[in-house]
Amino acid sequence: MTLQDATYSSGTDDSPLGPRTGLSRSRFFLSNEFGLILLIAIFAIIFGFATKGFFSPFNLFALGRNSAVNIMIGLSMMSVIVTGGLNLAVGAMGVCAAMVCGWMIESLGIPWPLAIAGGLAFGALLGWINGWTVVRTGLHSFIITLATMSIFFGVMIFLTKAEAFRELPPVFTEFGRARVLGYVSPLLLVTLVVAVLLAWLYRGTVLGREMLAAGASPAAAELSGIRVGRMVILCHMLSGALAGIAALMLVARNGAAIPSMAGQLGQDWLLPAFLGPVLGGTLLQGGKVSVLGTVLGAFLVTMLTSGLLMLQIGAFWVQSFLGLMLLVAVLLDKARRSYLARRNLA
Amino acid sequence: MTPIFEAKGIQKAFPGVMALKGVTLSLLPGSVHALLGENGAGKSTLIKVITGVHQPTAGTLLLDGQQAQFHNPRDAIAKGIGVVHQERNLFPRFSVAENIFLEQIGSSYLTPVDYARLNREARRWLDALELDIDPATPVSELSVARMQLVEIAKALSLQSRVLLLDEPTASLTTSETDRLFQIVRRLRDDGTSLVFVSHKLEEVQEICDRVTVLRDGANACDSRSMEGVTRHDLVQMMIGRAEGEGAWRARDTSAQPEVLGLSGVSTELGHRDVSLSVRKGEIVGLYGLVGAGRTELAKSILGQSAVTGGEVRVDGKPVRIRSVFEAIHTHGLGYVSEDRKTEGLILQHSVLANAGVPIWRKLGGALGTLTDGKIRDAVLPYLRKLEVKTPSLAQTAANLSGGNQQKISVAKWLAAGVRLLIVDEPSVGIDIKTKAYLHELLRELADNGTSILLITSDLPEMIAVADRIVVMDGYRVTGELPNTGEYDSVSRAVMDRIHDMGEVG
Ligand SMILES: Nc1ncnc2c1ncn2[C@@H]1O[C@H](COP(=O)(O)OP(=O)(O)OP(=O)(O)O)[C@@H](O)[C@H]1O
Ligand SMILES: [Mg+2]
Repeated sequence: MTLQDATYSSGTDDSPLGPRTGLSRSRFFLSNEFGLILLIAIFAIIFGFATKGFFSPFNLFALGRNSAVNIMIGLSMMSVIVTGGLNLAVGAMGVCAAMVCGWMIESLGIPWPLAIAGGLAFGALLGWINGWTVVRTGLHSFIITLATMSIFFGVMIFLTKAEAFRELPPVFTEFGRARVLGYVSPLLLVTLVVAVLLAWLYRGTVLGREMLAAGASPAAAELSGIRVGRMVILCHMLSGALAGIAALMLVARNGAAIPSMAGQLGQDWLLPAFLGPVLGGTLLQGGKVSVLGTVLGAFLVTMLTSGLLMLQIGAFWVQSFLGLMLLVAVLLDKARRSYLARRNLA
Repeated sequence: MTPIFEAKGIQKAFPGVMALKGVTLSLLPGSVHALLGENGAGKSTLIKVITGVHQPTAGTLLLDGQQAQFHNPRDAIAKGIGVVHQERNLFPRFSVAENIFLEQIGSSYLTPVDYARLNREARRWLDALELDIDPATPVSELSVARMQLVEIAKALSLQSRVLLLDEPTASLTTSETDRLFQIVRRLRDDGTSLVFVSHKLEEVQEICDRVTVLRDGANACDSRSMEGVTRHDLVQMMIGRAEGEGAWRARDTSAQPEVLGLSGVSTELGHRDVSLSVRKGEIVGLYGLVGAGRTELAKSILGQSAVTGGEVRVDGKPVRIRSVFEAIHTHGLGYVSEDRKTEGLILQHSVLANAGVPIWRKLGGALGTLTDGKIRDAVLPYLRKLEVKTPSLAQTAANLSGGNQQKISVAKWLAAGVRLLIVDEPSVGIDIKTKAYLHELLRELADNGTSILLITSDLPEMIAVADRIVVMDGYRVTGELPNTGEYDSVSRAVMDRIHDMGEVG
C-alpha cells in the first residue's frame, strides 16, 4: 500500500479505488462493526456456559423477535440522527401509528394490509409534523420532539380512552408466533430486509446521499443544490414510518394494539433507540451512519438484556450493565482508532 | 547572526501520509522568512509542529539555542511564538474583541471581563491594520477577508518574538496586503522574526529576505538569503521545472446571446441599481475591494437572499429564483464559494463524496440509484487535471492540505456541467502550477460555451482570465472595461474606477 504517493497526476492507470478497497478490507477487522461482532460472540459463549437454555430454540426465537423490535427502534432513531437531530418521540409515534392501524381494522373494517399501510403512513405524517416544525422554527429537534412526544401521546390516549384494540385478525398473532427453520422469527427477517433497504438508501441512492450531506453540513449542501429543509423533513418521515413498523411488530407479538405497549409517553423505547445507533458508530453530529452497526448494536443490547435476565440478575442491574457497555464501547473505539493511527504511521 | 529559532530534522507522519520527512528551518531575528512549496508540500504541517499544534514524530526544536518542546499551542505562545494559521480559528459567535483577546481573557477566571477596556485595546490592533470594524461585532457577521484581518490583529496583539503567517494574504486585495506589509516591515525592524507563507511570488519577493522551499515534505532549499534568487529560481525549486506562460488571448463573444442579465437590481442586502450581463461563453470579471458586495450579489442571484427590485434575466427571460436548488437544477447556475470550509466542502465526508454533490441528480438512474463508480468517472478527470493530492478518494476532505481542499471545491463545479458558473475567489491557497491549470480550465470551459462570472481579489488573475471586467464598490457597479490582457494599463484603469467613488475600505 503505497498510499502517500498516489497522486492522480502520476498518469498511471491504477485506479485510486484500488488502494481504497484493499484498505477497507483490512480495516474491517478494526472497525466498530467487527468489534460488535466480537462482543456478540464473546457474550454468546459466556451466556451459553453460564445459563441453562440460552441456545434453546425457544430462547433463540424470543431473542430474534425482541431484537427485531429493538433494531427497528434503533433504525428509526438513526434516520433522524443523520440530520444531526434526535427524535425523542419515537415511542409515541410508533404507538400512535399502531393504534391507527388497529382502529382502521376494528372500527372502520378496513382489510388488514391496507390498515398496516395506513398506520405506517400515519407514522410518516407525524414525522412530517416534527420535521416541518423543526425546519420552520429552526429550533433543535430535541425540543420539538420532546413537545410532540407529549402531544401525540396525550391526544392518542384521549381519543382511544386508553383502551386497546384486541379484535385483530389472527394473521397478526400468527405472524408473531411463526417460526422459520425452527427458531427464526419472521419479524427478524422483516427487520433485516428493512435494514438492507436502508443501507442501500444511504449508499446507493441520490436521496440517501443528499440526506447525509444535508446532515453533515447544511450550508455546503444548500449551496450545492440540495434542499436541506426537505431532506430534514423526509428524514423525520422515514423515522415515523420505521417507528410504526416497530410498533406493529409489538402488536404482532402481543396480539393487540395497546396504548401502553411502549410505556408512559413511549419512553421505554428511548434507551434501545439510542444504544443501537451509538454503539454502532453513528455520529451524533449527523452526516454519517452505519446501518450494520446499528443492527449489531441493537442486537447486542437485546442479547445482553436477555442473558442477564436469564442469569436472574435484577432488571435494575441490567440497566447498569447497559450503561457500562456504553462506556466500554466508547473506550474500545478510542483504542481501536489510536491503534489504527499508529499502524499506519509505521 | 545567531538564529532565534531552529527546527532540525522534523518528521511528521499522518495515517497514510508522511507529511514531513526531516525538514530543517532556521530563523534570524529581524528578518522575514519565506516558506514556499506546492499544495501539500508540508508548509502548514511544519508551522503546526513549530507552534505546538502537532507533536513531531522525530526532530528537535531550538529556541535561542536551547531545546524546546511545546505540548500545546499555549506553550508556544508563552515562549513568544505567535501564529496566524491558514484555516480560520475564530469563534463565530464571539465579538471581534473577545476573539482577539481570547487567550488573555482566559488567564484569570475570576475577575470579570472589562469590556470597555477590551474593546479599546482591540481598537488599537484593528487601527494598526486600518480595519474599520466595531470591536463588538460578532465575527460571524464578517466576510472571509475581514476574518483573516481579525486573525492577524489577534496575532499582533500577542507581540511575539517569532510570528508565523500561513497564507495571511490569501483572501486579501492589494491595498490590504500593502497595509499588512507596512506592519510586517515595522515588526521586522523592531527585531521580530517573521515567517511568511504565500503562493503569490510577487509578494514573497517584495517582503522576504530569506527563504526555505519545501517539496514533498523535504527541503528543496534550507534557510538561504533571498539575495540573487529570481522568481524563476523559486519556481524551479518548488515544482522542479519552469513556470508555464499564461496564454491570454482576446475572445470575441459579442455575437453570442445573453445567458444572465441584471438590470437595475437591488437586493435586501443593500445592492442598488446593479446592471450586468454575461453572454454565452463569456468570462466576466467582477472586481472590487473587500466589502464591495460581490459575494453578496452572487448569493442574491442564486436565490439565497431576496432581490427586491429590478430584473434578473436568464436566457433573456425575466426570472425569479427562490432557492439555490432552482438556480442549479432549473436555470443551470452554479456557485463556487469563497469559503471552502463551511460552504464549499463537507469536511467530514470523503473526497469522492464532495466532488460529486452537484451532479448526483444528473447521474442518478431509475429510482435514484447511484454508484461510486459513476461518480468517479464523472469527477476524476477534473481532480486529475487540478492535481488533487490525496492518499485516496476515500480520504476525509478535512485531512487534505488547504490548497487541495480548495481544488476539490472548484473541481466539483467544473464537473457539474452548469451553463453559468459564478466562481468566487477560486484560487485562494492554490499553488502557482495548479493556478495556471485552473485558468486554463476556466477558459476551456468558456470556449465550450459555459459562461463564467469570476469574482476575484487577485488582479493578476482577473487580467489573466477575464474577457471583460466589471468594477463594483459599495454595493454598486462603478464601471466596466474590456480586458486587454496588459497588466499595467488594465490594473490602472480598474483602480481608477474604484477610486472615482472616493476612498472606501
Ligand atoms: N490531519 C491530517 N491528517 C492526515 N493527513 C494530513 C493532515 N494534515 C495534513 N495532512 C497531509 O499532509 C500533507 C501536507 O499538508 P500541509 O497542510 O502541510 O500542506 P501545505 O504545504 O500547507 O499545502 P497548502 O499549500 O495546500 O496549504 C498533505 O498531503 C496532507 O494531505
Ligand atoms: Mg497549508
